Amino acid sequence: MRSKSSFFIIPYVLWLLLFVVMPMILLAVNAFTNGQGQVSLVNLRAFLTNGACLKMMVNSFWYAVLITGLTLLISYPLALVIAHCRHQRVWLLLVILPTWINLLLKTYAFIGLLGQHGLINQALQLIGLAPRQLLFTKTAFVIVAAYIEIPFMVLPIYNSLHALDQQIIAAARDLGASSWQTFWRVVWPLTLPGVRAGVQAVFIPSLSLFMITRLIGGNKVITLGTAIEEYFLTTMNWHMGSMIGVILIVIMVLVLLATSGKEQNK
Amino acid sequence: MKIIELKHVTRQYPDGFTALHDLNLSLESGKFYSLLGPSGSGKTTILRLIAGFDQPTQGEILFNGRKINDLPAAQRPLNTVFQNYALFPHLNVFENIAFGLKVKKVPADQIQVKVDRMLSLVRLEGFGQRSVQELSGGQQQRVAIARALVNQPKVLLLDESLSALDKKLRKTMQFELRSIQKQLGITFIFVTHDQEEALAMSDEIFVLNEGRLQQSGSPSAIYDEPVNEFVARFIGDSNLLMGHMIRDFEVEFDNHRFECADAGIKPGEQVQVLLRPEDLSLVAPQQGKIVVEVLSQLFLGDHYEIWAKDDAGFNWLIHTVEKAPTKRCGLHFAPDAIHVMRLGESESEFDQRLSQYEDNEK
Amino acid sequence: MKRIGRALYLILAFVLLYLPIVYLAYFSFSSGKDMVRFQHFSWVHYQVLWSDKELLAIFLQTIILAILSSLIATAIGTCGAWGIFRLRGYRRKTMLVLNNVLMVAPDVIIGASFLICFTALGIGLGFFSVLLSHIAFSIPIVVLMVLPRLQDLDLTLIDAAQDLGAGRGVIFNQIVLPEIMPGILSGLFMALTYSLDDFAVTFFVTGNGFKTLSVEIYSRARQGINLEINALSTVMLLVVMLLAGGYLFLTRQHELALGARS
Repeated sequence: MRSKSSFFIIPYVLWLLLFVVMPMILLAVNAFTNGQGQVSLVNLRAFLTNGACLKMMVNSFWYAVLITGLTLLISYPLALVIAHCRHQRVWLLLVILPTWINLLLKTYAFIGLLGQHGLINQALQLIGLAPRQLLFTKTAFVIVAAYIEIPFMVLPIYNSLHALDQQIIAAARDLGASSWQTFWRVVWPLTLPGVRAGVQAVFIPSLSLFMITRLIGGNKVITLGTAIEEYFLTTMNWHMGSMIGVILIVIMVLVLLATSGKEQNK
Repeated sequence: MKIIELKHVTRQYPDGFTALHDLNLSLESGKFYSLLGPSGSGKTTILRLIAGFDQPTQGEILFNGRKINDLPAAQRPLNTVFQNYALFPHLNVFENIAFGLKVKKVPADQIQVKVDRMLSLVRLEGFGQRSVQELSGGQQQRVAIARALVNQPKVLLLDESLSALDKKLRKTMQFELRSIQKQLGITFIFVTHDQEEALAMSDEIFVLNEGRLQQSGSPSAIYDEPVNEFVARFIGDSNLLMGHMIRDFEVEFDNHRFECADAGIKPGEQVQVLLRPEDLSLVAPQQGKIVVEVLSQLFLGDHYEIWAKDDAGFNWLIHTVEKAPTKRCGLHFAPDAIHVMRLGESESEFDQRLSQYEDNEK
Repeated sequence: MKRIGRALYLILAFVLLYLPIVYLAYFSFSSGKDMVRFQHFSWVHYQVLWSDKELLAIFLQTIILAILSSLIATAIGTCGAWGIFRLRGYRRKTMLVLNNVLMVAPDVIIGASFLICFTALGIGLGFFSVLLSHIAFSIPIVVLMVLPRLQDLDLTLIDAAQDLGAGRGVIFNQIVLPEIMPGILSGLFMALTYSLDDFAVTFFVTGNGFKTLSVEIYSRARQGINLEINALSTVMLLVVMLLAGGYLFLTRQHELALGARS
């Protein structure tokens, strides 16, 4: 059986080598070589000595934190409410449904919604506020990104809420905990793995969003993702682009470690 | 006629764990055998070796005198009823039973006839089109038996097959298994950790512990004459005491000398003495062989379970049909209720000694 | 009081979740040219969409690409899952970690590194490079969908089949495959949505000749509002809703069947 199974696995291994291992190596090679193909740290030095680059990195990180926080703030209560509903599956499907609609279309919708005379400004006018520039602002970018990411946060949180043993909650109530205490001391700690999974699922893409920054943030917001796209497709400096890519990967790994570290202790 | 033999079979795993040590078994055709032992005793390993899911590291497995060590499971003329039944969840009852026949490309009309016959054998007529997932545990068990038997195996292997059922159903199935075996006249090898089950069903029991055969024999032989402490403790309840032989047919334990039925052991040798709780009875203090004080008694429906302490401090377990007459009473037992076991005596030595003094008696 | 609060939150959340989508669809029926004021009801944007042969061709290409890439990725991924399933210890761990690299890597990194890769291998940018990329980023999700099914597979079923005389082929086709089929199907489904939804990777590895719907919408959206896109998204919305309804119906049937059993 062994020989046969190894025959079947050949295309998969080929895929691993060509599309996982090789791209990673090539990205690293590009990051640590200069235009003449010599090994050098010129890209890293350029990145670290350029104030704009560093600021961009910090900004990108900060935006990701904002987006993740906003998403969590909306998603946890939503997951909680759904977990207490009848017809949970239907509600859940309704949460997932928007993810099947092309990302570009949803973003495009916001161009209309946030426009100078769009729905949001019309609503603001109704409550007596003057219309304002919403599109192409940093706030707009954070809101749209959060909107896109909500389902990916709700799902893991809902799953961990759903897996929660109802008897544990009954036990907490029985022992005299108020509903707030029950939530804070029992439900929240037990659903933390779901929250972590959600944070991972939202934070990492938020670091590298480039399409939303272009369409919604105008060119006011530059994230690591935008920078990579620019170096690769506009200025064609692949070495610098790869360097930023490597830095993005490093940040990503750090975030993954930070959010999964506690779980290993258990 | 011997149908299956294991000769000097050892099974050692790559990590060094030895599941079976130099095991010898021989099974005759048409009997109901049980492999009895606690978990980790090697009983399931033996089953897997016989079925062909595993190979011994040393030794031979013979089927009808032919070595089958390397014969794949699919080609062995025996079938297995698995512990969790292993019914194919995507197939219905009929398709499950027909699986082995379809694989062997038996014509459809014959399959129909054979499966129907099996369904009636296990009393599941009309269940053919049911999904196996909607069956009760007992019904699944029957499907698993039918699925194995439809292939007309020479030997049926049953791996802890009744352990998932509740007590009442288990009793029914024990009875049914035994009657199916009698009806078909093929060899059954039943793996279990439940001594009651083994005693109730088997023609012969193999008691195993830590990969070694402890004792084999008929249920009554194993119950009445356990070869060592392990067997005595594992099968049935027991009172075990240390003592020593005075002479043939006299043994001392618990600071008293008693007449017994054992011989062939040299005087003064240290021995272990077994008394079954149901061989003990409580009488007036002066009529008993030992005076005991009753500590507790529990009514268990068909008998009382009584714990009593003697003057030497030993706690006796007694099963009687009547309550203890007084708080202090006498403990009575017949000479042949005392089973004397030599320390470290193997089964063959035991058998030899037994036959020797039984011959002398004649 | 608490119930009302919950219901309100639920309604508010779903209004927000669906507002942009409904907003798009609503204005697709407006005879105007922007998403500010609804003029009057008209099919004009749908007519424009229907006669926009370029967009329809791109739509078709996107679908073909999705079907092709998800089928190939499912085949490779299922074999991969089987391979990983049979591995033990650190080899298995290594394979799983490598498998998950593309799951956690940001789209931009995947796109950029694939671009470098294709250039290094001398593969021209176009349909082929996009197809390869879509297969590549869909494989790991298929593996992740199939592997748990394999792990749930009761190994005694394989023993049982062997015991009843089945050979390797029969065991795989009649025992293993039916058991892991739900995993394979959800893998295929996920691969399909991954491909249909992807923008970033495609954006990096497509040349000038080949466009997917996402790339096309991006370039049109950068030029501002065009209600033809609204019409297109309404059509896609309908398709998605039908799919979701079908999915719900199927799982409901399945649950009813399961309910009857227990």
